[in-house]
Amino acid sequence: MTPPVVHIRDLRKVYVVSQQQAGARAALQGLIHRRKVEVPAVDGISFDVAAGEIVGFLGPNGAGKTTTLKILSGLLHPTSGEATVLGYAPWKRERSFLRQMTLVMGQRNQLIWDIPAINSFELNRVIYRIPVEDYRRTVAELTDLLDLGPLLHKPVRNLSLGERMKCEIAAALLHRPKVVFLDEPTIGLDVTMQRRIRSFIADYKRRFEATILLTSHYMTDVETLSRRVVVIHHGRLLFDGDLSILVRKFTSHKTIVVQLGDCQADLSSYGDVVSCEDGRTTLRVPKAETAHVTERLLADLPVIDLLVEDPPIEEVIERVFAQGAQ
Amino acid sequence: MKYLRLFGAFLRASIVGEAAYRINFFIQLFESLLSLGISLAGLAVIFSHADTLGGWRPDEVLALVGVYFLVGGVIGLVIQPGMEQLIESVRNGTLDFTLTKPEDAQFIVSIRRVEIWKLMDIVLGLGVLAAALVRLGQEIGVLQAAEFVGMLLAGAVIIYSFWLILATLSFWFVRVENILVIFQSMYEAGRWPVSLYPGWLRYGLTFIVPVAFATTVPAEALTGRLGWETMLGAVAMALVLLVVSRVFWRAGLRRYSGASA
Amino acid sequence: MKAMVELYIQQFKTTLTMMFQYRASLLIWMIGQVLEPLVYLIVWSVVSASSGGSVGSYTTADFAAYYIILMVVNQVTYTWIMYEFEYRIREGGFSFALLKPVHPIHSDIADNVSSKVITLPVMILIAAGLGVVFHASISPAPWAVAMFIPVLLLAFLVRFLLEWTLAQAAFWTTRVGAINQLYFVLMLFLAGQIAPLTLLPSPLQAAAAVLPFRWLISFPVELLLGRLSPGETLVGLGAQVAWLVVSIVLMRIVWRAGLRTYTAVGA
Repeated sequence: MTPPVVHIRDLRKVYVVSQQQAGARAALQGLIHRRKVEVPAVDGISFDVAAGEIVGFLGPNGAGKTTTLKILSGLLHPTSGEATVLGYAPWKRERSFLRQMTLVMGQRNQLIWDIPAINSFELNRVIYRIPVEDYRRTVAELTDLLDLGPLLHKPVRNLSLGERMKCEIAAALLHRPKVVFLDEPTIGLDVTMQRRIRSFIADYKRRFEATILLTSHYMTDVETLSRRVVVIHHGRLLFDGDLSILVRKFTSHKTIVVQLGDCQADLSSYGDVVSCEDGRTTLRVPKAETAHVTERLLADLPVIDLLVEDPPIEEVIERVFAQGAQ
Repeated sequence: MKYLRLFGAFLRASIVGEAAYRINFFIQLFESLLSLGISLAGLAVIFSHADTLGGWRPDEVLALVGVYFLVGGVIGLVIQPGMEQLIESVRNGTLDFTLTKPEDAQFIVSIRRVEIWKLMDIVLGLGVLAAALVRLGQEIGVLQAAEFVGMLLAGAVIIYSFWLILATLSFWFVRVENILVIFQSMYEAGRWPVSLYPGWLRYGLTFIVPVAFATTVPAEALTGRLGWETMLGAVAMALVLLVVSRVFWRAGLRRYSGASA
Repeated sequence: MKAMVELYIQQFKTTLTMMFQYRASLLIWMIGQVLEPLVYLIVWSVVSASSGGSVGSYTTADFAAYYIILMVVNQVTYTWIMYEFEYRIREGGFSFALLKPVHPIHSDIADNVSSKVITLPVMILIAAGLGVVFHASISPAPWAVAMFIPVLLLAFLVRFLLEWTLAQAAFWTTRVGAINQLYFVLMLFLAGQIAPLTLLPSPLQAAAAVLPFRWLISFPVELLLGRLSPGETLVGLGAQVAWLVVSIVLMRIVWRAGLRTYTAVGA
């Protein structure tokens, strides 16, 4: 078996923060003495990512996702534990390692602001020592996949947020990294642009067999891109596995939609009535009783149609986070 | 009174903000002392080779250095930080928050940022001024003291209005912080009596970038060099610039709300 | 090696495009570069005129030549890296530089040189104009003119490396403005900006000889003024080379320590 591309064991990152009290007097006292507090951002997490895998990395704000990505891309030195990427210790920042990975941060930009993106591309070509032939081919491919054509020659400051993000992503992938860390690549973009970037990431993975670790606030990103998700909260691992298992595990209820023709009948004895529109009643039922309730509904009522659904993924994740917080 | 209270609130906020960077307190102390030391050492070097500088005796130039530090301290304490933030907030749109406050917006943008450590320059400036007066051993009459304070106030008003006009330009042009850089280098020239400079530069430092009114003129009042023409001129200049800057500010605001709406 | 050359060429192209966009700001920055020496030029001219036409070994015209050459030398050697570094670390742009498989100093050198390409011609014009206004004249020996180029280049390199090293204070403290100003104040005095070094008291002259500052500005200026003997020039060149070695070593040590700190506290 090939070794994992990303390997993390008992990873910890602790920040030392000096505390500041409110008020002018306390602030002046702080001139002389101040309290230091240790804040663990990542608190002993372990997981591996195999070659060619896409993993969705989930957690609420401040869970430690970005810290983990920064450790993996060599920007942060872990406090303790192991982290290797492609067999390298990232924080040593060996050039051969840096040439094989990339980090895209949705909220920051690396492109030079006042000049066209193509100039930044050219610069990356020499920085990553990409052969001219490969460079041309990759730019052509990326231009095609991301529809960059008219954007590359405009100053970056004149691009819209979505256009800029497309160029950012392209610039980060020119050297065809084997490992791609994406930190909120779709943040702030409209739905169409999000979809575009999502399908591009899927394409890129397929074409270049890249290993991708992706964080996102938008569940749709994770849902469409990765079967496997890693959920962390307060720096600890909550779940690692198939998205469908996560859903199953954290779903205590199912939704049953019954079509009866009108909204006259009182269905509250079958489950919680969420809504009723155009004769379609939505019921929330404990998972274990789904089969039983369905049977009763079909037996008792003139049902025209009946549908059993999982609750929306956002709701599930919210529950995961809520449980993690306890 | 209400304005004083507001200023106090901003001052407190900045003390809290700055205290987080305790090293800056000591560095600023060190830096101010060093800067003053260099200034004095510079004078020492020059006056080791000459008895007077353009007709100014050493202790008179010392008084000018005191005024230079005092006024520089006021600029660094409140004028410059506020104006720099104004430019920044016009660019990124955060000026909206200020405009929605139920106070005069010009007043708020003028005082909302205070670099408290610059108080050190003011204290040092006053100290140097006092030392220079003692060394001059000259009787300062009530009238002369009043003239000095008056000229100092006029100078401060002129500098403030000038900065406000420059900063207000940011309503029309995106990048104006560079113009502020020009002011800083011009202010350096105010360390010396403007009478030293050749005509074109003296003219520039008086009327284009009015540094002379802030430093040389008050020092002249103190050393008994000031004619009533200059005094009237300074007061008139202060009033005119104050009004002009207010008009400018209003026009800028109209432009701002027009553009962002 | 070839990759490095290519990197520099590409960096120059890119930053030239960029600097050309900032040309207005670059020119405005130059006003400060001109004005400060100009003020000292005027002050010393006044002093010189009032003490019979010369101070020490400098005549009024010598002062003019001294400060006009100083303007040009300062323009060639100055950097803004200390502000830039602080900004990068504050705004997080520095992380991107760390992700790249190239030492970030290279792009900074390229940046600096390309801005000089744009501004230097203007500065030389200004210097020539001021030379006429203030009746400055120099008559250096041909060997001094020939030596001026390598000396200026070394001055640029040493100053760049020292300031790049100093700029890394931003790794440890969030507000480095004060440290920068301390440095500039030292520069003002010990590099011959406030007065030609020979007019300073002798303890200061001694300090200037052992510290790097004098070799960054006043040494090239004095060389072109024709005030240095060949022997003194060689000593100065030796000092520059020694400081070059020291600054390279210093830069590497501080860089390594700085990175350790940066990756410990977070980007």
